[in-house]
Amino acid sequence: MTTLRAFTFNFDICYNNYGIPFYLQYLAHWPEYFIVAEAPGGELMGYIMGKAEGSVAREEWHGHVTALSVAPEFRRLGLAAKLMEMLEEISERKGGFFVDLFVRVSNQVAVNMYKQLGYSVYRTVIEYYSASNGEPDEDAYDMRKALSRDTERKSIIPIPHPVRPEDIE
Amino acid sequence: MTVHLGLSGYYLDNGNNKMAIQQADKLLKKHKDLHCAKVLKAIGLQRTGKQDEAFSLAQEVATLEPTDDNSLQALTILYREMHRPELVTKLYEAAVKKVPLSEEYHSHLFMAYARVGEYKKMQQAGMALYKTVPKNPYYFWSVMSLVMQAISAQDEKLAQTMFLPLAERMVEKMVKEEKIEAEAEVQLYFMILERLGKYVEALDMVRGPLGEKLTSELQSRENKCMMMYQRLQLWPECNALSYKLLLKNPDEWQFYLSYFDSLFHLMDKSWSPPNEEEHCVEGPVHTTVAEAVKFVVDRMEEEDKKDSRPLRGPYMACLELIHRLRQRGCPDEEELGDPLELMLQFFGKFGDKPCCITDLKIYLHLLPPEQHTQFENRLGELVPLGEVGEDGFGFPGDTKALQRHLCVCQLSRVLGLQHTLDTEGKLCLITELKAHYHYGLQFGKSCLKTELQFSDTYCLMVAHVYIDLWTETGDENMLWQCLGVLEEGLSYSPSNAQFKLLLLLLFCRLGAFQPVVDLYSSLDAKHVQHDTIGYLLTRYAGSLGQFAAASQSYNFSLRFFHSNQKDTSEYIIQAYKYGAFEKIPEFIAFRTRLNQSLHFAQVRTERMLLDLYTEADITSSLEESVKAMGLCPEEDDIPWDNMRDNRDLTVLFSWDPKDRELTEEHRRLSLEEESVWLKVRSLTLRLLASLALLGHAPSKRNSDKTNENGVSAKSSTLQTLLSQLDLTLQTAAQITEKQTQYPFLGPPSSRLASALSSGSCHCQASALQLSLTLQELETTGLDDSSELQTQICNSFKSLIVQLQELLSRCKGDVLEMKDSRLMTQPSLLETLVFFVETVCVVLWVASYSASVLRPLKSSLQKKKKKKTKDSSTAMPVVLSGFQEWTGSLQGIVTQALDHVKGQEASLTALKLAALTLGVGHAQTQEECGFTRAAMDKVQTSYLGSLQELGDLLRKRADSLKSLKF
Repeated sequence: MTTLRAFTFNFDICYNNYGIPFYLQYLAHWPEYFIVAEAPGGELMGYIMGKAEGSVAREEWHGHVTALSVAPEFRRLGLAAKLMEMLEEISERKGGFFVDLFVRVSNQVAVNMYKQLGYSVYRTVIEYYSASNGEPDEDAYDMRKALSRDTERKSIIPIPHPVRPEDIE
Repeated sequence: MTVHLGLSGYYLDNGNNKMAIQQADKLLKKHKDLHCAKVLKAIGLQRTGKQDEAFSLAQEVATLEPTDDNSLQALTILYREMHRPELVTKLYEAAVKKVPLSEEYHSHLFMAYARVGEYKKMQQAGMALYKTVPKNPYYFWSVMSLVMQAISAQDEKLAQTMFLPLAERMVEKMVKEEKIEAEAEVQLYFMILERLGKYVEALDMVRGPLGEKLTSELQSRENKCMMMYQRLQLWPECNALSYKLLLKNPDEWQFYLSYFDSLFHLMDKSWSPPNEEEHCVEGPVHTTVAEAVKFVVDRMEEEDKKDSRPLRGPYMACLELIHRLRQRGCPDEEELGDPLELMLQFFGKFGDKPCCITDLKIYLHLLPPEQHTQFENRLGELVPLGEVGEDGFGFPGDTKALQRHLCVCQLSRVLGLQHTLDTEGKLCLITELKAHYHYGLQFGKSCLKTELQFSDTYCLMVAHVYIDLWTETGDENMLWQCLGVLEEGLSYSPSNAQFKLLLLLLFCRLGAFQPVVDLYSSLDAKHVQHDTIGYLLTRYAGSLGQFAAASQSYNFSLRFFHSNQKDTSEYIIQAYKYGAFEKIPEFIAFRTRLNQSLHFAQVRTERMLLDLYTEADITSSLEESVKAMGLCPEEDDIPWDNMRDNRDLTVLFSWDPKDRELTEEHRRLSLEEESVWLKVRSLTLRLLASLALLGHAPSKRNSDKTNENGVSAKSSTLQTLLSQLDLTLQTAAQITEKQTQYPFLGPPSSRLASALSSGSCHCQASALQLSLTLQELETTGLDDSSELQTQICNSFKSLIVQLQELLSRCKGDVLEMKDSRLMTQPSLLETLVFFVETVCVVLWVASYSASVLRPLKSSLQKKKKKKTKDSSTAMPVVLSGFQEWTGSLQGIVTQALDHVKGQEASLTALKLAALTLGVGHAQTQEECGFTRAAMDKVQTSYLGSLQELGDLLRKRADSLKSLKF
């Protein structure tokens, strides 16, 4: 059980990985897309952060998952699924055609979880994640799930050829 | 021309500032008055460190009040880089006057005001903008700026009677004219009504047609209604809405709380529905315990029936209801069942989840102490373990079983069952936990380096039991083994932050700072964490004599605080643009919280003190150092009355029972202690600044009246600060008398107690006091000042005695081997640091003394030459006293250096390899290796500290030589 609430900008951000400007940018622009989950004892269980973007005319208006994080001790409770469901619901209301996210090709646990939640690989993005300490850059899967507005589920028809990060919008 | 301008801009973009200046100059030769080129040149100058030139060039353009886009934008960039955002407002004020119909310039002006937080002007600029271009957002920018005036108003009455009502009227006008367009506008309206306490109106608004616009956030209307019901104490509505939402989502914890809250309020009021058909607008209301019990039991049954993963909410709600009923002395709790059985049931369902312990911990108080052991045993029955082996332990067959077993161990600790064991019992427990730890490692063989091992928590618990043993028996072997087991844990699980934090804490307590720096870096602390956990590092950095590392750790924190200032204002502007009005006060509150941070004030102060101790009068004079820091003794920039303690004092996991946990009182005492220590340090710093400026004062003879006033002003600052220090030290003494003990994993004690008991604070205060007396002598002269001179000479002597005592407290071995045991005395190191700091202060005063006495002496010699016949004039006491003093100081510093050298030698001679480890409690060969490695780290770190302290003392000894006449 969980208390789900809007992210209030305070010391909630203690345990996350991005710089403050990154969070501020999202909060100033898409506050509704930032949700945190709190345990009964007040511990921060996890959060999701996203945005809405893309052209409506080209049927590319969609919700995007920027970050999804669940603290180790609150894993395997279905929290990630719950947070994803909420982000999808928000995107539905905004009239998005689909929801998308990027995930490391190597992160099989996450890829499988997203597949279970109804996402499929739309395309591979080459060297999307730049690595430090001399290791090679890593590819990402761009995964998508169609929303009700995309009745024919056109948005998720996979693109067979990998693309480069500069070619994605 | 645009191409050429572009070239200069291009060079700026690429960091080639010299070329940018050259290009701009070329252009200016052809077109003398090309404003934009001038500004680009100014940017180049600014970036090459020629601030003054840059500024005057920029002002040339600014006074012409330019209205071309390029100049305006370039000047905006320049002013921002100069940290002069207020000049941007002037720029656009002029521009909108000249081009009153420009939407763009009006909008820039609004943003410029936003950057400096000029809310009133923002309100006006927003309105002017709306009048120029009647777009809704502009109107609401103006309204929001009124709200900001209300929030920032010192006078709450002004906010309630002027700003907020005006904002409300402005919105109402738009509502009446049916001009409300966006959700953001409705949000803002709600914010205003809420702040005005007009909850009924707010509720009506949310429920009405305007509320329909609240769609972005999930359950936005419901959440707002709930908030208003609670404020208005509309318990029937609150209860019915909670009930409704829980039926929809039986896992939403906050609504269980509001459901129970409202239920008991209604019971207390004996509320009954006015109408059997419809209880209230939100639907049916529960008013009896029976209904609540049934509701909760039904929710649990629903979960029991489900094929999919059950939710924790209903089962936790059951325990929460028992807790509340018991609080009220209500006998009906039995209907929900026995808490022990319910918790066992919970464990049965969720025991294999790591959060099971955090959940059950909250309700353990429902079990009477006599049930604790029974509970532990019954839990144990629910853990599937394999057959008991030779060592007497059975092990889990998979990670789920492991997690269950681990949960029982944690619960047993939380219940205090581990604490009551005797030494032998605890050692057995350690053996058992270690066996489980090692056994469990097999499940994580394929874990990535970034993942934690499934059995890590066992290892951490072993460490905690070792700490119990160490603190109870004082047996340092327990500590060394604890370090060993944590180092071992880290070798299998290199990203375990809890291992690192605990190691960091233990090394600090041991006085070994060197290993701490790497541990902290590997924690990869980010932004706010520097404020929340930075204290773990900075508390010990300077106090252990690792000055270079200390400087580095202050910088970690300072870099974060400084960048935060710039960051927030940009995003406040963004929030205006996107209409995220609710976020604006949050952003500002966040910035304020950081600016008022205790830790920020501490690192600021310590950083400057450290620079003075390590550099002033070595690489540059005290006066130069003080000036370079921009230190002004009269200025106090620490927000004493609004200090925010942002430290995360529970960052280290703990499974200690309630009576050993960190309490609010501990937090309060720790903040009090840290604040007083900060006050001592900040006053010391300002006193040193004062002393530096005294040294600069022209002597009496060639000064005119204004100068004399200047001098007396300086000495009166010194006097004021000294009496403040005196008062603070009295408060400090009272605080240290309390001898507050914090939980081991809680906040470290401040340096206050050891600073006082070492005598260093008082010695520094007397030295600074002496500078004041010397100043008096400077005014009086050598004639007719025999009393003053005697007083000074007595101070000289007394300071020597104090320093000698301080030094004697440093004597002893920081590390020694006794009967094959390794013993530490880290407090000696801390005292030695106080000694060195105090030597620095005394020597600065000595240097000031020399600057006062030297001219007095030479004028005396001149006089002597005149009256050559009168050879009977003896040397004035103060001069001979001073010479004697510098001699004694020299002696003390030499003694200290000898002590340091002696310690270095004996440390180097210690052969840790000769220690026989593992005697008594069987440590494996591998474990002994880790323990030995930890010992080596401590030894090396002590050596490092001694070397740095020795180096600084040697440099100070050199500076002493120049003080002789």
